[in-house]
Amino acid sequence: MTTPSPELARGPYKEGFHDDLKTIHSVPKGLSHSVVDYMCDVKGEPAWMREFRHRSLDIFLKTELPAWLPGLRDLDYDAITYYLSPVNKSSRKWEDVPEEIRRTYDKLGIAKEEQKLLGGLGAQIDSEMAYHNIQDSLSKKGVVFLSCDEGMKQYPEIFREHFATAIPPEDNKFAALNSAFWSGGSFVYIPKGVKCDIPLSVYFRINAEQFGQFERTLIIVEDDAFCHYVEGCSAPVYTTHSLHAAVVEIFVKNRARCRYTTIQNWSTDVYNLVTKRAMVSSKGVMEWVDGNLGSKRTVKYPSCYLIGEGAHGEVLSLASADKGMWQDAGAKMVFMAPNCTARINSKSISGHGGRASYRGLVQVRGEAPNCRVQVNCDALILDSNSRSDTYPVMEIDGELVTVEHEASVSSVSDEQLFYLTSRGIKKEDAISMIVNGFIEPIVKELPMEFAVEINRLINLQMEGSVG
Amino acid sequence: MTPPDTTTDPSWLRQQRELAWKTYAALPAPTRRDLDWQRFDIRKLKLDTLAGDRPAITERLSSVTGDGVIFCDMATALAKHPGILQDYLGKLIAPDEPRKFNALHAALWNTGALLYVPAGVRVTLPVEILYTLSGTNVAGFPRTLIVIEPGAEATVVQKFIGGDGAISLHAAGTEVFVKDGGRLHYISYQDFNPNVYDFTLKRARVGRDAEIDWVIGMFGSSFQRYDIECEMAGEGGTSFMYGVCFAEHQQQFGQFTKQHHRAGNTVSDLLFKNVLRDSAVTNYTGMIKVEKNANGTNAYQSNRNLVLSDKVKCDTRPILEIESNKLRCTHGATVGRLDEDQLFYLRARGLPEEQARHVLLEAFLEPVLARIKVEPVYKEFSELIHRKVSR
Repeated sequence: MTTPSPELARGPYKEGFHDDLKTIHSVPKGLSHSVVDYMCDVKGEPAWMREFRHRSLDIFLKTELPAWLPGLRDLDYDAITYYLSPVNKSSRKWEDVPEEIRRTYDKLGIAKEEQKLLGGLGAQIDSEMAYHNIQDSLSKKGVVFLSCDEGMKQYPEIFREHFATAIPPEDNKFAALNSAFWSGGSFVYIPKGVKCDIPLSVYFRINAEQFGQFERTLIIVEDDAFCHYVEGCSAPVYTTHSLHAAVVEIFVKNRARCRYTTIQNWSTDVYNLVTKRAMVSSKGVMEWVDGNLGSKRTVKYPSCYLIGEGAHGEVLSLASADKGMWQDAGAKMVFMAPNCTARINSKSISGHGGRASYRGLVQVRGEAPNCRVQVNCDALILDSNSRSDTYPVMEIDGELVTVEHEASVSSVSDEQLFYLTSRGIKKEDAISMIVNGFIEPIVKELPMEFAVEINRLINLQMEGSVG
Repeated sequence: MTPPDTTTDPSWLRQQRELAWKTYAALPAPTRRDLDWQRFDIRKLKLDTLAGDRPAITERLSSVTGDGVIFCDMATALAKHPGILQDYLGKLIAPDEPRKFNALHAALWNTGALLYVPAGVRVTLPVEILYTLSGTNVAGFPRTLIVIEPGAEATVVQKFIGGDGAISLHAAGTEVFVKDGGRLHYISYQDFNPNVYDFTLKRARVGRDAEIDWVIGMFGSSFQRYDIECEMAGEGGTSFMYGVCFAEHQQQFGQFTKQHHRAGNTVSDLLFKNVLRDSAVTNYTGMIKVEKNANGTNAYQSNRNLVLSDKVKCDTRPILEIESNKLRCTHGATVGRLDEDQLFYLRARGLPEEQARHVLLEAFLEPVLARIKVEPVYKEFSELIHRKVSR
């Protein structure tokens, strides 16, 4: 296999531009308790939140990185700006969003038109939400879709009842960091029995350099309700690093269903260290569709805690590690109640020297009999400079369980290539077809626009990887 | 434990032992915070109460014939074949092994055996080594070195038994060299009495077009940590690694395997089958590592666990680290109970439930036993398992 030409790696990253935006709020670089106080003052937060943020910062400072997580030691926390905003408040009308920010979003294709396809749209730039709106038909049914900050102000009781209960700051170092500096993100509330059929979508943009984005999302899907939440993200290409450490907490109540789709396309300057967790009650269904195509390093294992009898968790994970990327993605399934089921399906591609790692946890507690879980991980390596790892952990207490894990790593086989090229298909197109066929089971679960976008990105990444 | 007495050692060995002892002393004792140790409890093992300064292991060797074949205990080997030992000993088990109990072994080993098969020689009858641990509150440290020169062939059966009422330590090491075109069928099993804490490290290096065929049996002891690693160092080499473990009562087993592909067109296959009963604990951690230039690797790894009680703890971690892009690498792991359909099938044909369960259990382990090419050893495995199954 020939070594691909490096300049073709990843293809053009069309989201890599940056705009000069006027900053309204900003703090000096580095983390400190005074930054926390500044944020609380600007946001006008209640005392309990101020206390929570300070406590979280203390936890962050004394929490060690886990031994199994390599490659993050050189992250310089003091080179990063923890709060910075070019907007003062979140607008409900697109026209009210400052013109220069609208221009940024126009360039990204997050235009007003898109709103017609979506039940709600949010747009975060750096630390704050610039825009957050929901269709009237949904808000009449009682669906709430706000920035997380607004959610705390308008629905303080629901907010406080759930906030940081699925992911407390003690959970891990980056959850603590987010808890101290969180800003933006979404607050979604779907009342009992309401089916929110049209997706709610949020786009996260980092514009500033050496910046840390810490959005916080809280989604509550009440009994028998349904919700599909879609997020996308991008950032400019700099020579320095930025940090994105989000926390997403989801509560799927009895018989409810939630689907959370992510298309992560950060520039290769961004450390993407995200904690995502869903607490799934009886007969509830949680589905994570997690696509990781960008970032310098992603550490993200969407998880389902199956706490009610008969709950179901599902993770579909797609990772594409191109030049300069390390996708450390995976899934966690924790069984805490009887008769629960789960499925993890992970596909990864590494090429142009990228590294894709699957890390997964399946944990069955003694009080969770009759549980079933199936894990499938497939990896494709495109060239000899790339790397693929699989690190699954299965911890089983007790007897009445069925756990199956299977993984395979392979290259684009000569037989497949020969078959296609002998039918007159160009080698590059053949590889592209094989790769698209490989990821198809996951891509078909994405909303149409995203599926098209993924195929475009993957094809760009394929260019020059002729085996 | 006291430092090794090196007065009679040649200088190269003295250096190894001193470095090993330093490593041992510097390493912290494993705790439950370490990923590998989360599920294990070895607090009953108190090193300071054990006598480790005199050999607690007696070895019994079968006799071997063959041109230039050397098969003797380590004391004889040191006296008569120091050159072979100096060339091979400590080359796979490094004196500064970063695991506490393996380093302790490297510092204090005081018994063992050497098998050396010269190039092109085929040893037709199995070579047997029986290690017996005796005495109370003792520590035994046997080292085995096997060298199969190019084109040579041998079958080795290594058996570990013994251990009296009080808690004893057994820390063993085996180094295996199978050179180009050589073949080794290697069977190793332990059926220690309860109260033995066993730490065993086995490492093999497999040369070009060479083959090693392992069968590992884990039956006795109260705790066993087993590290089995195979380095595929030459083009076209093959390793078949099969393991069987019957864990019952409060037995704890940690199985750590590594299939390390450093050369191209190498094949490795692995199957570890565990049965867990009562309050047993097992942790299988298996690594397949494929280096950048090891194109044409074909690696497979499978860990199957059959769980018979709701009090057991069963962990499995099959790991892949792949840096080559011309390969096929797969692994699978399962944890499950006896298949109700199969049970029903047998019962519908008139087998009492008890007996049907026994049949299924033995059938579950049979694929590993079937790898044993030495008839009496196969029988011994079968009987051992049969006794446990029908307890």
